[in-house]
Amino acid sequence: MTAVLQDGCDTLPKLFLKKSKERGDRIAMREKDFGVWQSYSWSNYRARAFEIAHGLLSLGLQRGDVASIQSEDCREWLWTDLGILLGGGVVNGIYPTYQRRQVEHALTDSSCRFLFVEDEEQLDKYLEIENDLPLIEKVFVFDWRGLRDFEHDKVANIEVLYELGRKFGETHEGLIEQIAERGTGDDLAALVYTSGTTGLPKGAMLSQRYIIFQTLMAPKYLRLTADDEILTYLPLCHIAERVFSGWLPIAHGATINLAESTETIAQNLQELSPTYMFAVPRVWEKFYSRITTSMSEATWFGRKAYDLALAIGLRRADKLIAEKPLSRTDKIAYGVADRLVFRNIKRILGLDRAHSAASGAAPISPSLLRWFLAIGLPIDELWGQTELGIVTTCRKGVFRFGTVGPAMPGTEVRIAENGEIVARSDGQFEGYLNLPEKTANTIIDGWIHTGDVGELDEEGNLSITDRLKDIIITAGGKNITPSVMENELKFSPYISDAVVIGDKRKFLSCLIMIDQENVEHYAQTQSVPFTDYKSLCARPEIVELIEGEIARVNADFSSVEQVKKFRLIDVLLTAEDEELTPTMKLKRSFVSEKYSELIDAMYTR
Amino acid sequence: MSVPLLQMRNIETYYGPIMAIRGVSLDVNEGEIVAVLGANGAGKTTLLKTATGALNSNKGQVLLDGEEIQCRDPDWVARKGIAHVPEGREVFPVLSVAENLAMGAYNRSDKDAVAVDLETVYEYFPALRDLQDKMAAYLSGGQQQMLAIGRGFMARPRLLMLDEPSLGLSPVLVQEIFGIITRLNSEQGLTILLVEQNANVALQVSSRGYVMEVGGMVMDGPSDKLLESEDIKEFYLGKKEEGVRGRRRWKKRKTWR
Repeated sequence: MTAVLQDGCDTLPKLFLKKSKERGDRIAMREKDFGVWQSYSWSNYRARAFEIAHGLLSLGLQRGDVASIQSEDCREWLWTDLGILLGGGVVNGIYPTYQRRQVEHALTDSSCRFLFVEDEEQLDKYLEIENDLPLIEKVFVFDWRGLRDFEHDKVANIEVLYELGRKFGETHEGLIEQIAERGTGDDLAALVYTSGTTGLPKGAMLSQRYIIFQTLMAPKYLRLTADDEILTYLPLCHIAERVFSGWLPIAHGATINLAESTETIAQNLQELSPTYMFAVPRVWEKFYSRITTSMSEATWFGRKAYDLALAIGLRRADKLIAEKPLSRTDKIAYGVADRLVFRNIKRILGLDRAHSAASGAAPISPSLLRWFLAIGLPIDELWGQTELGIVTTCRKGVFRFGTVGPAMPGTEVRIAENGEIVARSDGQFEGYLNLPEKTANTIIDGWIHTGDVGELDEEGNLSITDRLKDIIITAGGKNITPSVMENELKFSPYISDAVVIGDKRKFLSCLIMIDQENVEHYAQTQSVPFTDYKSLCARPEIVELIEGEIARVNADFSSVEQVKKFRLIDVLLTAEDEELTPTMKLKRSFVSEKYSELIDAMYTR
Repeated sequence: MSVPLLQMRNIETYYGPIMAIRGVSLDVNEGEIVAVLGANGAGKTTLLKTATGALNSNKGQVLLDGEEIQCRDPDWVARKGIAHVPEGREVFPVLSVAENLAMGAYNRSDKDAVAVDLETVYEYFPALRDLQDKMAAYLSGGQQQMLAIGRGFMARPRLLMLDEPSLGLSPVLVQEIFGIITRLNSEQGLTILLVEQNANVALQVSSRGYVMEVGGMVMDGPSDKLLESEDIKEFYLGKKEEGVRGRRRWKKRKTWR
């Protein structure tokens, strides 16, 4: 295998040591403290990572030992991530939304020795199962609030580790550099547990080479440079956020801004106005529906201006998609529309400084991409998965909506005989921890079987049809890919997520999770009285509203592909619920099991 | 089914640019006690003030017996039959107890009936009879609360709205006052809308309850069902599993269901 190098470095520790020294007092990250954005420099990033590394080394961390981070995104997450790596350890990110059973699995399976938890809430998850986790030697808590009088042999404030590290560092100068020097691209660097819609999560083993390989995709394909500002809001345990907020900034120097929480994304965007935005489709959908709802309430003049501008924008977008030249009038009309309307929209969204945007981690509706292109914010759809990292991305200025673009350099993609997408790259994962059989089923002759079905066009653009196991075969024998319909449904501002059902059934049906904010708003404007979420879902007017949305989407599908019946999920779900993945997608298999009665009711008269 | 006595539909109320209530609907049937629970700032008082016309709603309707009464002057609403016992008692401090009670009947001309009702108030609150010539300012907190409720009753309203009657009172006094509230409801047929933070006592006397949070309703149901709800137990009644450390500050559940 050829060596994968970024700036002459084959591991992240080497790269970090080099880059953090070069950048010195430049700002590495920002995070809010008591409502005020505070900056942290690269020197500070380095110093903190050193303290953590030294601290762990003083406690006996050996090369290849696993340490886990169980926390929401915060500066300590990033410091600890690097600290563990600099000490020669392996980082295991655990979703803070995981429940006890999943935490136990992730810690036991990885033979974790050191655990970092965010606060008392996460600490309690550990304490509940403490006796089942004899391998854990020490637990460090980032936020000690509420624990002042708490004493426990294994649990300590992170400050204790910093202190330990400072002392150890004084007498062990150069140790970290030595450890880094001995590292190679083959070293295991991270474990990423894939959300696993069935069974327990699987721990994907990522090497240093995997990480360095990811960093090579910027700045050419992922257009992130030292001048960029990005917002971090997806869980850092998730591979996408880890690439964008963890590894790419180390390689290329973009400034990380840690969002306060997922609820404050909109506000944080306005405050920061990032120059590069990676988001999951759910967030892009939210932006779109925010603009469309506020437009429906605008003055008559405002509405007309928006409609007119959008018509101009869409005409330009369609020409760009078809690669037709833009006429002089097109350009002038667009210039005016941009100045009067689009610029304001982007300002409202906090994206007026964004030079590039990307979407990934789930399929996005082409209609949505077309709308964003119309307002002058082209989004590159990219595709990847934990096992491979980022595999494909659309190229700048080339609009092939519905495809996720061609493969990245160093990556090969082809379609297997059963239609499954298989890929290999210079930086693919090493297999699943403790699961040789599953690994053998995934990596066959060096090719990773992605579990997705798709097609390649003559330009090499990949399009994703669906998950292989999600393809529905109706009782009539018709093959149906539910995600196509689901993505169109999610394009509706009133629908947050949808699961199309119909395997071995006579017709297709659908479970809908409504978008609380927009549906409540609709109910308010239409004077539909409701009290709580459940009563909102039960209102006939709301059921009718969703029925209308489904009928609108159905119109574009053939009769067998249409959703004939639907039900609303009348429980307000959060990431803590098992129905949702940590990125707030409904889990198909889990949902169809849990709501089987609701589903069966649709098929019985 | 008969029309509820009070209906609030899709109410939105602003304080300047700030939306204090963002779409609230609620029903109170004749003869019921309905409780509205919520933390500070949830919008409970705003809701009552919107019902009485002390605040104008920007959207939505308030219906008394099916008739729209929103955005009217408070005195007009009071004459229509809604009495409001405000938070923190707010008795007239320099008037005597008897004068305060007379103020409650200000809109009434049926002198004989007023006299009977005054007697009724003294029966329910015997302490007030002994204090009738005393200036209200000199009354204890509990006595002032009784006076405020008595004053509300003197208007012989169709609907009595009580804003946190338990505020700042000792547990014994709270029990006493809520006992009287229950009796006023059962013996006098008085319909009551009760706003409270003390979920335990409010749900025990009421037949139905609503839970408000940041200006919206998050839960509603029969009071006995709400008392059993895990969320109510955790958020309002302070009952939760001990947790591994014996003291747990964080909330297990993040949404209402």
